[in-house]
Amino acid sequence: MASISPSAGQKRRFSLPQGLPLKIGVLIAIGLLIAAPLLRILFETLAPNSISAWNDVVLSPLSRNLLWIPLGNTMILGLGVATGCVLIGGFLAWLVVMTDIPFRRTIGLMATLPFMIPSFATALAWGSLFRNGRVGGQTGFLEGLGLSIPDWLSWGMTPTLIVLTAHYYSLAFTVIAAALATINSDLVEAAQMTGAKRGRIFMGIILPVALPAIVSGASLTFAGAVSNFAAPALLGLPVRMQTMATRLFGMIEIGQSARGYVIAILLIAVSALFLWFGNKIISGRRSYATITGKGGRAKRFTLGTAKYPLFAAAALICLLTTVVPVVILIASSVAPSSSALFSNWTLHYWIGASTPTIAQGQAGVFYNPFIVSATTTTISLGLVVAVTGSILGLMIAFTLARYRTGFLSGTINQLSFLPLLVPGIAFGAAYIALFGAPMGPFPALYGTFALLVIAGTAYLVPFAVQTGRAVIQQVSGDLDESARLTGAGFFRRMTAITVPLASRGIAAGALIIFVKIVRDLSLVVLLFTPTTPVLSVLAYRYASEGFTQFANAITVVILVISIAATLLANRLQTKSQPWLKN
Amino acid sequence: MKLKTLLATTALAGFLAAPSLAQDLDAMSAEELLPLAQEEGTVTVYSFTSRIAAVEAAFEAAYPGIDMIGYDASSTEQIARLQAEAAAGIATADVIYISDAPVVLTQLLDAGLIEAYVPPRVDGLLSDEFKSPLLSQRLSTKVLMYNEEAHPDGAPVDNLWALTTEDWAGRVIMVDPLQRGDYLDLMVEFVLRADEMAAAYEAHFGAPIELDAGVDNAGLQFITDLFENDLVLVSSTDDVNAAIGSIGQSNPPIGFTSYSDRRDNEDEGWALQVANEVEPSNGIVFPALLALSTNTQNPAAARLAIDFLMGDDSETGGAGFAPFYVAGDWATRSDIAPHPDAVPLEDFIGWSIDPVATAEIRQEIADQILILQ
Repeated sequence: MASISPSAGQKRRFSLPQGLPLKIGVLIAIGLLIAAPLLRILFETLAPNSISAWNDVVLSPLSRNLLWIPLGNTMILGLGVATGCVLIGGFLAWLVVMTDIPFRRTIGLMATLPFMIPSFATALAWGSLFRNGRVGGQTGFLEGLGLSIPDWLSWGMTPTLIVLTAHYYSLAFTVIAAALATINSDLVEAAQMTGAKRGRIFMGIILPVALPAIVSGASLTFAGAVSNFAAPALLGLPVRMQTMATRLFGMIEIGQSARGYVIAILLIAVSALFLWFGNKIISGRRSYATITGKGGRAKRFTLGTAKYPLFAAAALICLLTTVVPVVILIASSVAPSSSALFSNWTLHYWIGASTPTIAQGQAGVFYNPFIVSATTTTISLGLVVAVTGSILGLMIAFTLARYRTGFLSGTINQLSFLPLLVPGIAFGAAYIALFGAPMGPFPALYGTFALLVIAGTAYLVPFAVQTGRAVIQQVSGDLDESARLTGAGFFRRMTAITVPLASRGIAAGALIIFVKIVRDLSLVVLLFTPTTPVLSVLAYRYASEGFTQFANAITVVILVISIAATLLANRLQTKSQPWLKN
Repeated sequence: MKLKTLLATTALAGFLAAPSLAQDLDAMSAEELLPLAQEEGTVTVYSFTSRIAAVEAAFEAAYPGIDMIGYDASSTEQIARLQAEAAAGIATADVIYISDAPVVLTQLLDAGLIEAYVPPRVDGLLSDEFKSPLLSQRLSTKVLMYNEEAHPDGAPVDNLWALTTEDWAGRVIMVDPLQRGDYLDLMVEFVLRADEMAAAYEAHFGAPIELDAGVDNAGLQFITDLFENDLVLVSSTDDVNAAIGSIGQSNPPIGFTSYSDRRDNEDEGWALQVANEVEPSNGIVFPALLALSTNTQNPAAARLAIDFLMGDDSETGGAGFAPFYVAGDWATRSDIAPHPDAVPLEDFIGWSIDPVATAEIRQEIADQILILQ
C-alpha cells in the first residue's frame, strides 16, 4: 500500500495546495451522484413551458399561500425542532455518556429508537391523547376524561413541533453521544484537579468540544423537520397549516410538478442558507482534537442527589417518545377499527387466511407472496447502502475535517448536505432520467439493484457525513501527519488510523443509513421494478388501498428489523463504546 | 420540451415500423389475439388499485401461457414513472389502469405516452363518453356522505348551499383539494355547473345569488363560502370517513368521500351513507381508465388484458370484473347489472365529470382555492 504514494512523490506534491487531489476526487464523485440529479430538476423548471412556475410561486397573488406562509411555518418548525432536539438529545447523551445515571444502557438504546418509528405513528400517538372534536370522529383520551382540549394543542404548530422533536431528537442524541464519548477524561480530570466547578467544566470543555456534533445534530434535525410530510399533514391540515413539504407534495399530486419543483428548489436554497451559518460556526472556530495517540479512560460525573430526578426525567422522555408510539403502532396493526385501537384485537391482518368478510378478502401480510422477497431485498439493500454510503460519507467527512477552508471544501460541504432536502420522489425521478438509459459502454441501470444502491448511497450521504464528520474532526491531525511523513498513502492512513479511531461515529452513521433506507419510501418508490418490491413499498400499497392495519403490520416488521440492527450494532461496538460500560 | 421530442421520435419510429399492425390488432377479437399474445408470453399492468392481484390470478387461469404482472401504484406515481421511463427511453408497462382522468389526458395521452384502445367486443355496449378519449372501465365517486346513525331519517341537508350556513360552520370535512386530484376535480365541477349552483342557491335562500367582488360565477362563490365557513381539511379519505362515519357521535360532521367506502362500515365501525337527495347534486362521478402504453412490447397481450378487464358477458362481468363489482362503483358497460346493495347509476344524482373540460380550468380553480386558503 505504501507504494501508492512513495515519499519522493510526496515531496513534489507539496507544490500543489494541500489535499487538492483528494478534494477534486470527492467533488467529482458527489458532483455525479448529487449535483447532476439536482441540476436536472432545476433544468426541468427552466424549460419554456414551466418557467412561469417561478413567477407563480415567487411573485404572484398565489405566492402568499403557495410560498411565504408555508415557508414561515417551515422555518419555525426547522428551527424549533432543531433547538428542541439538540436540548433533549444533548441532555440524554450527556446523561448516558458522562454520568452515573442508572439504566444507562437502556436509556441509550431507547433514545435511538424514536427515529426508527415512523413519524406518522408518533403523530397518531399525539392524536390518541390530545385530539379534540374539531375533525369529528373519535376524540382523544384526554377529552374522553372530560377535559376540553383547545385547538392549538390538538392541531397545528404546537403539536407538530412536539411530535417532530419527539421523532428526530434521537438523531441529535446519536451524533452527540458519539462525540461526547471521545472526550478524553484527562481533560475533565485536569480541570477538576485545578478546582473548576461542574458548570465551568461543562461550558469550558464539554460544550466547545461537542460543538461540531451539536451543529451536526442541529443540521440533521433541521433538515428532517423541514422536509417531513406526515406530521404536518396529519396535525396541521385540519387548521389549514401548510408547510413547504405539504405544499410540495400537493403540487406534485395534483399534476403541477413544475411548481412543486420550484418549491423544492426554494426549500433547498433557504435551508442551505441556514446550514451555511452552521458551517461557518464550525469552520470559524479553533480545532479541538481530542482523540490523540494516547489512550483515554472514561470517568463519570457523579450526579449525587440529582441522580433520581434526572433519571425520572430521562425515563419519561423515553417512555413518551418510544413506548407510546410503538404501542399505538402495534395496536393499529391488530385493531379492526382505527377509531378504537384497543378493542377487538385480531391477528387476522398478520396471519389470517383470506375471508371475504374482512378487508375485502385480503389475506394477512404473511400470506403476501412478496413478503419474503421484499424482506430479503430490503435487508440486503439496507446493508449494501450502509456500507457504500459510509465509505463515501467517510471520504467526504475526512476531506472536510482535514481541509476545512477554501471554496472547494465549502462546495463539497454544501453539496453533501443537499439530498436531505430533496423530496425523494423527485430525486428518484431524476435518477431514472440520468442513469436509466445506457451511457456509453454502461448498460441501462433502470430496474436494477445497482441503480437503487447508487441512488440510496447518494441520497443518504448527508447522514454519513454529518455523523462521521463530528468524530473525524476530533481525531488529531498529528496522527495523520506523522503517518504521512513516514510515507503512508491515503488509503493506508484511512484504514489504519482514521477509521479505527472514528469507528463510533462511522458506525452510528451506518446504522442511521440502514434504518433510513429500510423504512424510506419516497426514494425507492420509482426506482424499484414492479416485481421486486421492498417492504416500505408493500406498506404503501396497503395504505393507499385503505388497508391501514396491513400497512401498519408491515411497518412493525420494518421496526423490528431496525431494532434488531441497532441491538446487533450495539453488540458489535460494545468494545468501542466505553460509555456503555460501567 | 425535450421529453416530448423524444417521445414523438420514439412513437414515430414505432409507427413507421408497423403502421398496419396496430390497426389490425385493434380490430381483432380476443380469440384472434390469444395466439399472438401467447407468443408474447407476458403483459405488465400498471394499476392504481391493488385489486389487480385478483385480476392477475383470474387472467392467468383464463389464458394459460401468458404471465400477467400486476403492478399496483397510485395514479400520481404511475404518471411520474411513465414520464421518467419515457425520458430514459425505457418501456416496462403494457397496460395502464389509472384514475385522475384530467391529468392523464393532458400529461399522458396528449404527450403521446399512452394511447386509446376499445376492445371491439364491448364497443357497442359503451356510450361514447366511455370510449373517448380513453376507455373507461368503471365509475367511482367523491360525493356528500353523512352519518346514518345520527341521522336515521335521511341526510341532514337537502341543498349543498346549506353547508355554507352557520349550522355547518366547522362541521364540513374533506381532503385538501390541493393535495388530492379527485377533490380538486370536485371543486372544478362546482364551477363547471355554475348555473345549476346558482339555481340551487335561489331554491335554498329564496333570492338570486349575489357574487362577491372578484368571483365571477356561483360555483366559485360556493367554494369561497365553503372555505369561509371554516371547512375542515384533512390529508386522506380515511380521515374523512372516520370523522363522518364513526358511530357513537352526537353531532358528526358531514363531508365528501367515496360512496364505495360504505362497504367498510362494518369493519371500521362507521355509519357512512350517501346523501342522494341534495340540490343540485351530491358530487362527482369519475372514470377509471384503461389505456395501452404507446411503446408496449406486448401489443397483443396488452389488448387481451384490457379485453379481460372489461369483464365477460355474464350479468356481473365474470372473473375479470369480479374485484370491481362492489357497491358504490358502477360498471360502464350497459349490460352489467348494478350492484344490488347500491343506488343504481341512473338514480344517482352525482355529476359525471367531463375530463377535457375539467383539465382546461383545473389549474385556474386550483389557483383560486390556493388564494382562499
